[in-house]
Amino acid sequence: MLQRDAFIKEIIKKLNNDKNIFFLSADFGAAALDDLRELFPNNFLHCGISEQAMLDIASGLALDGNKVFVYAMAPFLSLRAIEQTKCGAGLMNLPICLLSVGIGLGYADAGPTHYSTEDFACFRAIIGSSVYTPADVPSTKLIAKDILENPKFSYIRLDRDVLPNIYPEITHSDFNNGYKVFGKIDNKKTAFISHGRMFHRCFELYNKEPNKFICVDIFRSKPFPKDLPKKISSCKGIVVVDEQSPSGNLSSCIFEGFSQQNLFPKIISKSLPEKYIFDNGGRDYLLNKFGLSNIDIIAAAKQI
Amino acid sequence: MKRINDLENLAKKYRRELFEKLLVIKQGHLGSIFSMMEIIVALYHCGFVEFDEKKKEFLDKVLISKGHAAAALYPLLKDFGVLPKKEWDNWGHTNSLLRVFTNTSIPGIDVTSGSLGHCVGVGAGMAISFKRTEKNKRVFVIISEGELYEGSIWEALLFAKHHKLDNLTIIIDINSLIILGKTSDCLNLDPIKDKITGLGISVLEVDGHNLNDLISTFETSKKLGEINCILAKTVKGKGCKLMENEKRWHYYNLMSEDEIKQARKELS
Repeated sequence: MLQRDAFIKEIIKKLNNDKNIFFLSADFGAAALDDLRELFPNNFLHCGISEQAMLDIASGLALDGNKVFVYAMAPFLSLRAIEQTKCGAGLMNLPICLLSVGIGLGYADAGPTHYSTEDFACFRAIIGSSVYTPADVPSTKLIAKDILENPKFSYIRLDRDVLPNIYPEITHSDFNNGYKVFGKIDNKKTAFISHGRMFHRCFELYNKEPNKFICVDIFRSKPFPKDLPKKISSCKGIVVVDEQSPSGNLSSCIFEGFSQQNLFPKIISKSLPEKYIFDNGGRDYLLNKFGLSNIDIIAAAKQI
Repeated sequence: MKRINDLENLAKKYRRELFEKLLVIKQGHLGSIFSMMEIIVALYHCGFVEFDEKKKEFLDKVLISKGHAAAALYPLLKDFGVLPKKEWDNWGHTNSLLRVFTNTSIPGIDVTSGSLGHCVGVGAGMAISFKRTEKNKRVFVIISEGELYEGSIWEALLFAKHHKLDNLTIIIDINSLIILGKTSDCLNLDPIKDKITGLGISVLEVDGHNLNDLISTFETSKKLGEINCILAKTVKGKGCKLMENEKRWHYYNLMSEDEIKQARKELS
């Protein structure tokens, strides 16, 4: 199942007994959204291909006490409408949840206008935002349930593709922490920290050599999980892997989180390069070509 | 309803109070505030914005999208007892609740504004929420003519028209000036009426300083039963010759003692 369908299905469940939910789309679809539109037409609004107006409209709906979900392709929902998000959800602290689909190179077949490789840094910077990047469907469902119960200004980064479920599954307890550690922590091991699709590459490497690595899925990067730094500080070092541009990506978030607790482990950042990618070849090809292959990640770990 | 003479005196009083306050705090946008004064006096004092006397709150919503002029509401909100007088008196002090740009932490203020181009969308969101949750409330959005340069305004108008938001009225304060000069010289917006009617939205035109005219236009607007825009022709800095039609009075300027004396005379 796609993460977007999993999230929307949770909204549909909630709509059965809560009519103060509005779902706004800037002409972006999903199988589950077809169901939502059919079952709850009064709670759905097509805003046209107008992300900026959609965020303003969302603010108006939220000011009248509604829980609002806005939904569009990641590059446009994030950067095109970022000031509307700041002035509405940010400045007025409104319970607007942005569902951003196709993060990173998710739209590899479309090219750089459709890549969302700067959204993480931008949204983390908006005051009051909560930022989530789930790596599978079970964690996506947990995020959806939590936001439906506790509406807040949140930015949910969903993958375009179906991602495999992680085993063992993210539990409620992990969810409250904002992260899950796989493997036994010790000072001879290097920690991989990632989220979303790139987590799966790290998880594969960890599963191959669990005596050398641990792997952390940080599905909630803001608010930053405060107990994470101390928990893994005994590791030899950290490789942060993110399908984002180099500035302000997950490694910045990790460095800030650790340094605020006076912890300064060796951190190596593996991200996309400081350039717009015009090459063809599909997402895996591009990730491998531009520094995020398994070989690149292992090479970074060896530098620790 | 108050007599026209009383309403004119209220507009004068609010201009005077704001002039004296801004003279003390040496900031603010008097030109833009003065151009919309009669508009808000007619809206609030003639019952177009319903007021719950017991709760001391307005039931309908007024969004001042031209946030640099939203402080125009403070003396009016004070008169209605919505804004405590002590907050007005405290404006300009370090711990003041009030500021040149308003926000939702201030009693009676329905939206945080300042960045231009947002409130038609916000108003459309409120209006559709009121309709779908069957609340009998209206939304008035006051925008500056210069906000029409923002694309999000037009996106939101499309939305509002499509959803037949008959509880939404957009008032455009057309004082013909932006920071660098006349809109017609900087980047022409005309014909505004044709552009809006081109979207299928009804347009009413009014002298934005004539209270009789404003009242009858708001009555027509309400009776129309569909979303409509009111083009209010105004004068930037209205009521103070020093500021009238002067682009530099978009923001506060220092005045000589003679100028202050003259302004006080005109505003009294």
